[in-house]
Amino acid sequence: MKFQIEDVTVYFPYDNIYPEQYAYMVELKRALDAKGHCLLEMPTGTGKTIALLSLITSYALSKPSNPIKFIYCTRTVHEMEKTLSELKLLHNYQLQHLGPAAKILALGLSSRKNLCINPTVVSAENRDSVDAACRKLTASWVRELAAENPRIPTCSFFENYEKSASEAILPPGVYTLQDLRAYGKLKGWCPYFLARHMVQLANVVVYSYQYLLDPKVAGIISKEMQRESVVVFDEAHNIDNVCIEALSVSVRMQTLEGATRNINRMSQEIDRFKATDAGRLRAEYNRLVEGLALRGDLPASDAWLANPALPNDILKEAVPGNIRRAEHFLSVLRRLVQYIRGRLQTENVEKEGPVAFVASVNTQAGIDQKMLRFCYDRLHSLMLTLEISDTDEFLHIQTICDFATLVGTYTRGFSIIIEPFDERMPHIPDPVLQLCCHDASLAIKPVFERFQSVVITSGTLSPIDLYPRLLNFNPVVSRSFTMSLTRDCICPMVLTRGSDQLPVSTKYDLRSDPGVEKNYGKLLLEMVSVVPDGIVCFFVSYSYMDGIVNSWHETGLLKEIMQHKLVFIETQDVVETTLALDNYRKACDCGRGAVFFSVARGKVAEGIDFDRHYGRLVIMFGVPFQYTLSRILLARLEYLRDTFQIKEGDFLTFDALRQAAQCVGRVIRSKADYGMMIFADKRYSRHDKRSKLPGWILSHLRDAHLNLSTDMAAHIAREFLRKMAQPYDKTGVMGKKTLLSEADLEKMGNSNLGEMF
Amino acid sequence: MMNRDINGEGRKLNRGEEEEEEDEDEESGRGRDAWERAYADERSWESLQEDESGLLRPIDNKALHHAQYRRRLRTATTAGIQKGLIRYLYIVIDLSRAAGEMDYKPSRMVVVARQVEAFIREFFDQNPLSQIGLVTLKDGVAQCLTDLGGSPESHIKALMGKLECSGDSSLQNGLDLVHDLLNQIPSYGHREVLILYSALSTCDPGDIMETIQKCKGAKIRCSIVGLSAELYICKYLCQETGGLYSVALDEPHLKELVLEHAPPPPAIAEFAIANLIKMGFPQRAAEGVISICSCHKEAKFGGGYTCPRCKARVCELPTECRICGLTLVSSPHLARSYHHLFPITPFDDVSPSITNIPQKLPKSCFGCQQSLLNPGSLFFSTEIANFQKLD
Repeated sequence: MKFQIEDVTVYFPYDNIYPEQYAYMVELKRALDAKGHCLLEMPTGTGKTIALLSLITSYALSKPSNPIKFIYCTRTVHEMEKTLSELKLLHNYQLQHLGPAAKILALGLSSRKNLCINPTVVSAENRDSVDAACRKLTASWVRELAAENPRIPTCSFFENYEKSASEAILPPGVYTLQDLRAYGKLKGWCPYFLARHMVQLANVVVYSYQYLLDPKVAGIISKEMQRESVVVFDEAHNIDNVCIEALSVSVRMQTLEGATRNINRMSQEIDRFKATDAGRLRAEYNRLVEGLALRGDLPASDAWLANPALPNDILKEAVPGNIRRAEHFLSVLRRLVQYIRGRLQTENVEKEGPVAFVASVNTQAGIDQKMLRFCYDRLHSLMLTLEISDTDEFLHIQTICDFATLVGTYTRGFSIIIEPFDERMPHIPDPVLQLCCHDASLAIKPVFERFQSVVITSGTLSPIDLYPRLLNFNPVVSRSFTMSLTRDCICPMVLTRGSDQLPVSTKYDLRSDPGVEKNYGKLLLEMVSVVPDGIVCFFVSYSYMDGIVNSWHETGLLKEIMQHKLVFIETQDVVETTLALDNYRKACDCGRGAVFFSVARGKVAEGIDFDRHYGRLVIMFGVPFQYTLSRILLARLEYLRDTFQIKEGDFLTFDALRQAAQCVGRVIRSKADYGMMIFADKRYSRHDKRSKLPGWILSHLRDAHLNLSTDMAAHIAREFLRKMAQPYDKTGVMGKKTLLSEADLEKMGNSNLGEMF
Repeated sequence: MMNRDINGEGRKLNRGEEEEEEDEDEESGRGRDAWERAYADERSWESLQEDESGLLRPIDNKALHHAQYRRRLRTATTAGIQKGLIRYLYIVIDLSRAAGEMDYKPSRMVVVARQVEAFIREFFDQNPLSQIGLVTLKDGVAQCLTDLGGSPESHIKALMGKLECSGDSSLQNGLDLVHDLLNQIPSYGHREVLILYSALSTCDPGDIMETIQKCKGAKIRCSIVGLSAELYICKYLCQETGGLYSVALDEPHLKELVLEHAPPPPAIAEFAIANLIKMGFPQRAAEGVISICSCHKEAKFGGGYTCPRCKARVCELPTECRICGLTLVSSPHLARSYHHLFPITPFDDVSPSITNIPQKLPKSCFGCQQSLLNPGSLFFSTEIANFQKLD
């Protein structure tokens, strides 16, 4: 269908549109008009992605004079593929209506692991080794050697791509990763380098968060994106954590050992070069004297690392004299590693700011701030000079240099924490030095500054006013939309008491109370006998889950539960968990019924959907607060309070509730689906906790369901499941219109839109 | 009590204690008082709703029922569709642990048995040429309670004597058994299974998907009426085999859902080829004659029918002759089955404006002779051209 939003004609590939999708588009359009950033919350299952794609491409089409680029960031490769296939559908529709004028180039970009088509390279097991294997075949020195000696292997795809040079471009169209690989095979060109090249020319780019947020990668990939771009972060409820992780480094003993090995290897290489090709080292020295800014003489394919957010003025400076020579630089690194090793010997937990740390490095190891700051670039340059292509071997020293540069660059928003052992296992020494970033706005700041509009959207962004403060920006639009439903297909409940009327909670003083554990067990037992097919349970942590499952086992409750349903448990091992999930699905399919025990903040809570019969009920046992005694968290809380005036309690509750909402949101992925959610903790009934849940859950949370005991919850579940089992009528009954056609939209006009929602 | 606010902390505590005591009483006593039962089980307030003026009224289900009634009429009148008139139906009754639950009063299995009884009578009333058998699921195994037969009484008697529940239920075992049993019937008959499923899971010895494909291959139409919630495997089974899956809300709804299976379903395409069947129309034996009945193996006095081929005596029609295997029916049976093929056209609603003019109306209903002076809702049949009352 085709309709008008103010001055933009929107092409939407389906015959009907949900009212909330329409409202979403209107808000988005206003944000684009204002050339500002926006925050939009809309529940999953309402077609957020297609609404976004459809509006932004239509917006670009309606303004041919100043074309905007559209950058869409997803969290996983799977989501990337899904987005691209939806875009393909939309593109076909637009082509039908507008003809060739609507032609765009859209493609996904991912790592070599996902794009490489060279069979010998792609067979390597992880991402780093694929990268290294690729470099071994495509690095400029390898190719030079190969030109003289044909027995040295190169990658034919890359050679072909290089040969066709300027002709190697993609014709307009929408390319998923698979399409890219197929096209690469057809033409004999390397899809990875082709895609990387085409990203600069494409109208729509879909890639992972890291390409924009991680300064190391962003420098190469996203450097040349134009300002007139719309950047979308989808599923962005955890964006602050992604930002923080991008700038945090942790160093362990193994890292140091590995780094020492790397340094030794490099010094051997230097000795070898000195004997054979001393000119190279001298050339590098001269280049460094002229400054980093002139580093443009290396071929593009070799630029595989970049500077983590170095301020521009530093780039223009030359590398400090005392690390220009390779041997000197290596000895600096050696001293740094030695110094860190010394710090790790400590018996106590230590916490320091970057300034104090740098001062102590300076006095004890004789390395000043400027040298630290240049470590990253100096290492990069040295590795190129030494023609090291198996970069996966050198990760350890890279980590050390990352650390050094970050510590040398930032004086605020970071802290260095040294812990001699894990808090939970005090007798096993496992010293770790962590450089943790507390300020999510550091990593995302360049994005907000560089691009005209940044859209942050997700199913759970509540409370929506906290995100601008955490990320330190001013949105022009921030709205939360609810779902229009033909029937009440979600049934959230707050369970505060067991059947014996005693309160249940995972509060610290209550959690190991046998009464509470028993009540939780009884709750699950009641539910397995009432709810068909799949049930998902989320616990606050692995250790809590282990404890409570053990106690259920001892009291025989687990056995009773197993009479009704099979029990599967998430573990920290990915393979094991995948297997468990697989069998869980099988058990749901064949009617045996199953329960899946999982952990909030775990892999399952973030990425796995439990839609339809795979999850008819999700129980959230307790409030998933972070481990509040963790030093990193405490330091972050302190920073947030001092800098952004966010109270500790507020942040903790916000963080816990968004995790809880994320967990329970797993069960409902479309409007035809239905599911129940039980928040089993008495603290959920308090207003300050509850009000932080997203609007689409709150609007279904009836007052009568706020303070339930186990037997009441079971009764409500019975009724709800019966009601939902009745035939589903898509078009809606009793005047609840949830699908708008083209005619409806015209009738509605823009004038009375406000009243509708 | 459910709307208790947070401020009333103190009151809450007191209440909590009270409730605890009550609970202890309950646990020790087990036998609850009537008022307690009204709270715990019947929840009578839920069948009330507030109208616009704030008065409490019982929930008006009449409109809903009316709509369903009309819908059924509409689907039933799709004349010209071929229907299977000779049906071989197995009713599978789940008597696992879940059937003992008390959310239906007095328990699920008693309610199910009651509905099955009504269904069997209705079924033979509408499909005199068809046969029914009963299978129960209990302790993980399926058991054949009665073989296919045309006598409602014997089925009902067998079922009522076997009402105990225990163990798990296995859908696969049930389907396997029914599949084996239905494989023996003649090819012109329509094979159907109606499963009344209380449990929320199925404990199977093997891969149930294979069994479902086997049933699909054998053209067995499986329908399920669930008693508590939608179960994916049931839905899948019904979808695959072309049956209906429904879940009951309460007892009247259960009755309705079960009875929906009484009229014959549209025929599966494979059976659409016309088939000639040999049938006998036995004569009623003269009164006062003593003969040995072939079904009960004992001497009977008077009544009964004589098989036209082998002259054996049978007690009831329709049936299959025990001696020569001929299908025995009477002509009214055939006629009664026939009406499914040519249903009457649906009646029209009469608008209230006409009801206000008494002289235009006849005095009594054409069908039941009741007075029409104070009519609720009226229907007008275009064919008979007369007024009828809503049943």
